[in-house]
Amino acid sequence: MNGAPQKIRLDEWDARHARLCAGGLCEPDYGGTLSRHVGERGDERLRHLLFDNSAAALRLWNFLLTEEDRLRGHRLAGRKLVGTMKDLGTVPVMVFALPNLVAFYPDGAWWTPCLMEYSDGLFKVADRLGIDDSFCPVRAMLGAFVTGSHFPIPELLICSAGAVCDDFSAVAQRLEPLGFPVFWWEVPRRRSPEPGVCLPGGFVASDDQIALARSELGRVRLALEELAGSSLNDAALSASIRAANLVRRRLRALRDLAFTAESSPLPALELLIAEMLALHYCSDRDETVVVLEGLLAEAQARVAAGQGVLPADAARVFWVNPVADLRAMNLLEECGGRLCGTDFMLGHALVDIPEDLPPLEALARVALADPMIGPTPDRARLIGAEMQRLGSEALVISRIPGASHCAREGNIIRQFVQENFGMPTLEIEVPPLSDSLVPALRSRLRALVETAIARRTS
Amino acid sequence: MITAGIDAGSRTIKVVLWDSEKSAVLNFGAIDQGIEQRRLARELVDRLSNTSGTGRLQITRTVATGYGRNLIDFADANITEITCHATGVAHVAPSTRTIIEIGGQDNKVIRLDERGTVRDFDMNDRCAAGTGRFLEVVATRLGVPLDELGALVQKSRRPASISSMCAVFAETEIVGLLAGGRHPADIVAGVQAAISRRVGAMAGRNLATPICFTGGVALVPGMAQALEKALGHPVGLAPQPLLTGALGAALLALKM
Repeated sequence: MNGAPQKIRLDEWDARHARLCAGGLCEPDYGGTLSRHVGERGDERLRHLLFDNSAAALRLWNFLLTEEDRLRGHRLAGRKLVGTMKDLGTVPVMVFALPNLVAFYPDGAWWTPCLMEYSDGLFKVADRLGIDDSFCPVRAMLGAFVTGSHFPIPELLICSAGAVCDDFSAVAQRLEPLGFPVFWWEVPRRRSPEPGVCLPGGFVASDDQIALARSELGRVRLALEELAGSSLNDAALSASIRAANLVRRRLRALRDLAFTAESSPLPALELLIAEMLALHYCSDRDETVVVLEGLLAEAQARVAAGQGVLPADAARVFWVNPVADLRAMNLLEECGGRLCGTDFMLGHALVDIPEDLPPLEALARVALADPMIGPTPDRARLIGAEMQRLGSEALVISRIPGASHCAREGNIIRQFVQENFGMPTLEIEVPPLSDSLVPALRSRLRALVETAIARRTS
Repeated sequence: MITAGIDAGSRTIKVVLWDSEKSAVLNFGAIDQGIEQRRLARELVDRLSNTSGTGRLQITRTVATGYGRNLIDFADANITEITCHATGVAHVAPSTRTIIEIGGQDNKVIRLDERGTVRDFDMNDRCAAGTGRFLEVVATRLGVPLDELGALVQKSRRPASISSMCAVFAETEIVGLLAGGRHPADIVAGVQAAISRRVGAMAGRNLATPICFTGGVALVPGMAQALEKALGHPVGLAPQPLLTGALGAALLALKM
């Protein structure tokens, strides 16, 4: 810990960075000022965000914002790149089991239009390809492939299909005719109620669904072996699973501490970014552990010192779905709320992958624990249970514009939480740049916070 | 003690001055919204305080609410419309369990507990469906001043069917209905029914009663009846529905 926890602007970070360096801050090779990302990459949105002032948070941001350099470095070092799309966390575990392969997450380009405040032109490319704004902002990924200006084109693209998001499938299908072949693997829809195997995280899937997922991941294994030119044996897979679990445990520890501490030790924005590391490790799994351990140590030190970045009486809000505009996470806190639980659609990337099962069986079960591939009431029940465990006082469901699943799921989740827990709920839509909607979003979030706080004494 | 509540809505700025010693409204007023919200609100507060014989300086505390509340920088605090309408309605109609508020660009369903505290709420999202804006669109298309819509709707014999919830798409339907010779009164009644359906869908099942209807749109004749039909429950009209938000703000200023 270095000074009192605070949220600061980008320009304040520059001055703080200089002070930290003068005080002996030891940075990794991707370290440096945050503001350089505006000049070097056009990440203009950073100017409009508030950041945590810890060195650990700086490292997190620098790690995230330099992934493109890292990918190019991997390529220069002779490693092959695998774009792992949509499955949110399972296939990367397999990729990282092979020493000459590196996984990354092209879907992450959905934040590029936000970060670059539309100067990237990625949506325009997608528009021209017939994927307009009636689709999820992940359509930016199409533009990134066409322009080749945001990540190197991977040697292999692996994308899940089937029960996963159909918007994403529609977007990814456009890649094939553009000359980017995709290796598809199917994720079956988790049916309910149906007897079966209890999955990590609490969902249930039948034996035949698990068998299908296992068989599909077997095909993925063959594709990876072909690309790597070497065998992907169970021992290597098991070692990779253990390494993935290390990341997941660090994240769970960080989340639990941040969500349950009396005063939130880290801001919502950094917690969101940290959680995303579970998907793709920013192309460096070992460094991911270091980054997360830094954040966890910072959070622990702050909690031990009774310090936080927000007032202790902030309303405890559970947040569902990631936001297309990062600014929304700041907004929650400006309105008097704090993050107290999340379902960013990647719960299956946070649970431990079983280490006592054959590795493909374990990965199949985790893939099927994806909250998005089953009935929404199942997801709602899990959200409700988490809200209770974490002491949440209110629920925000953030709709992703154009994402077809959002149109259906919001009401179901809200109704479940309202009827079973009597908690106030709010559904909002956050576009990639929400500036013109900030007054309306602020009103709604503020009203939710007021309601949650008023209920404490009623 | 005199407190002021300012509701800076999307169409109108409303002000209520509250006299805590008499436990009564000292004065109230409303003016059309404009670009200079702060100045307009200030002038209205000054005018109301002067005409009530108090003067601005005697106003102890001011709370702003509404869409433009953040611009009212002379207020001591700003509180959302949800809390202010709830407080205002709980004061004028204490048994209320559900508030339906329809304003110029927002609509809200606010559920209260037995103490008048907000239990939960729903609000329209980015769309103008189910708001006063929908009525403005139809008034413009029909060439009828907004404040005459209420009189017009009384002439309706068979409300037109407006299937779209979207104000933009509905305008296309209105053009078609006019071309088909439908009476404007039936079209307005159809729009009122469409707004009410939209609000009804937002309110969902298990509506707690009594229901109180407030906000500027509550002043439009026929709307309360259209809402009753859509909700399947009696709908009571708040006394001076335009002012409940400002009243709530003035009452909340007392508690600060």
